[in-house]
Amino acid sequence: MSSLPCGVRNYSYAEDMAIVRTRTQWVLFVGFLLLLFTAPLYLGNFWLNKINLIGITLIAAVGLNILIGYCGQLSIGHAGFIAVGAYTSTILSSKLGLPFPVALLSAGLMAGAIGLIFGVPSMRVKGFYLAITSIAAQFIIIWIIRHWTGMTGGNYGLTVPYASIGGFIFNTEIRQFYLIIGIAALCVFFSKNIARTRLGRAFIAIRDNDLAAEVMGVNLFYYKLLAFFIGCFLAGIAGSLLAYWTGTVSPDNFRFTDSILYVGMLIIGGLGTALGPILGVVFIRLLDVGVLQLTPALQSAFPGMPGGFTTGIAPMLFGLVIIMFLIFEPRGIAHRWELFKASYRLWPFSY
Amino acid sequence: MTELTQFIVSGLAIGMVYSLIALGFALIWKSSSVANLALGQIVLLLSWFSYSMLVEAHLPVWAAVPLVLGFAVLLGWGIERFTLRPLIAQPILSLIAVTLGIGYFIDGLVNLKWPQSTGALPRIFPTDTIRLGHAVISQEYLWVAGICLVVFLGLTLFYKYHRMGIAMRATADDQMAVQACGIPVTRIFSMSWIFACVVAAIGGILISSIGGISYGLVETGLGAFSVVILGGLDSFVGAMVAGPIIGLAESLGGGYLTPYVWSGIREIVPFVIIIIVIMFKPYGLFGERRIERI
Repeated sequence: MSSLPCGVRNYSYAEDMAIVRTRTQWVLFVGFLLLLFTAPLYLGNFWLNKINLIGITLIAAVGLNILIGYCGQLSIGHAGFIAVGAYTSTILSSKLGLPFPVALLSAGLMAGAIGLIFGVPSMRVKGFYLAITSIAAQFIIIWIIRHWTGMTGGNYGLTVPYASIGGFIFNTEIRQFYLIIGIAALCVFFSKNIARTRLGRAFIAIRDNDLAAEVMGVNLFYYKLLAFFIGCFLAGIAGSLLAYWTGTVSPDNFRFTDSILYVGMLIIGGLGTALGPILGVVFIRLLDVGVLQLTPALQSAFPGMPGGFTTGIAPMLFGLVIIMFLIFEPRGIAHRWELFKASYRLWPFSY
Repeated sequence: MTELTQFIVSGLAIGMVYSLIALGFALIWKSSSVANLALGQIVLLLSWFSYSMLVEAHLPVWAAVPLVLGFAVLLGWGIERFTLRPLIAQPILSLIAVTLGIGYFIDGLVNLKWPQSTGALPRIFPTDTIRLGHAVISQEYLWVAGICLVVFLGLTLFYKYHRMGIAMRATADDQMAVQACGIPVTRIFSMSWIFACVVAAIGGILISSIGGISYGLVETGLGAFSVVILGGLDSFVGAMVAGPIIGLAESLGGGYLTPYVWSGIREIVPFVIIIIVIMFKPYGLFGERRIERI
């Protein structure tokens, strides 16, 4: 807790640990939840669709944040693990006819297990070596998916039935909205709490200096692999939801560039904060919407544009934004938000 | 037997191109400890640029190649000056992420300028075949291997005798001491990026004159990491030795395993090698083992 509003004191340990402290914070928090969960009342399908995508991306980003932001283990193969989750749940539900909750959980467990395999090298290496391992993981996973045609449908992919719990089928954007946002909210809450437990403190100790952490009695092997498992588990959940939401899976949805974009989102939002992934994901996805809306207009205004303008401009912009953030605000939007809060609280004597 | 000779020759030649690209990586890593993960995209961009020069602008080879190399110099200088220079002394995560950002940017740029997914360079080298015993080998491979050897030799001599080369080696050894001697370290960083891009350009032209240009070049560039990992991250000798090994593994594995496993096994060989090497011998064949202290 960096700074609290003036006049807030702690009289018990429980008070000190509470996430929501003052009455204003409660009002804002409940207001935000109300606004979020009544969104289908005043938003059309277009925006619900975008919010669903944001929710799914957020689950994956939260997992990656635990891995990179808290535990400091760089992974650039997140899209590969998302693909594992998507394919596991698709195969389980369409070929074996298992119900949605079972498929969802097995997708998470499967992705977590694969993550453990590729996390083992983190014992001996770190930094660049680990980044390379995760890139190799991404390419190996996607290659297997492309070539195991009997199970995964190869390049053509598979179609996915709608998710259903009991007799309730999530077949409209609104129903899926509640499913996805509900799980996303749980994941954000989960990651916020992980950071404050023994587990999260061990992760942060490993991130800051793993040798020092080991000397102090943190079991590196256990905690690093646990970070990989949690991160990839959430990736698997996100992948499963993505498959149910889009209705199809194909290897083209999980490219290496997507893996880069996930890392970029965390950097833009702010690594190692609970707020960071939310801000980063919303920022990138809204930028995406903006680009998609603007490019046709730009193209008709300037007919001399090269032919690949529509497909090329978004990656260029994303790359540029990632570079700019690293140079000018490496701690991300979340840090700016903290600065803003601090100066708001100290106003008019902020400096 | 004839098959085997063909596989060996083509594997060695392609492997030497890998070494070339990997050398570009090692140059930057040694001088500034920056891991250039945009290598694949840089190779792709430079290959497409040479496509523009050779095919779209119909320039002859003697005019196009210097232009491509000039563009590579500009690219290397620009990347270092505008993205890496402001990030000197930042944590390794930032340095890796910024090269990822560069890669993403170049990806978009390539999509924007060359939206077609594949292109073919004209045959630069004579394609007449040579008979080696019973094996029939395209002359191209020999040319490629020869050019790679010339570049290796040039770089080695440069590093050994040229003033700048000596300064670059000194920087790799001890940056502080070099600064104290009055050598501008930033210029060394800049030079190493320029060299890396030029070498990547040569590698790109060589490999795409044989196999054509496609998005798979990014994977080829990333596959060159297997060379660096196998050879040892900070070793030039390692890169030169490991390249042909990877090339051989790819070509022999692709040639002999294809009937037994899924097709396209050769695309994945470099990545499997990466995982195996990192698990069992993480610092590679010739890499320097770093001892960490708290």
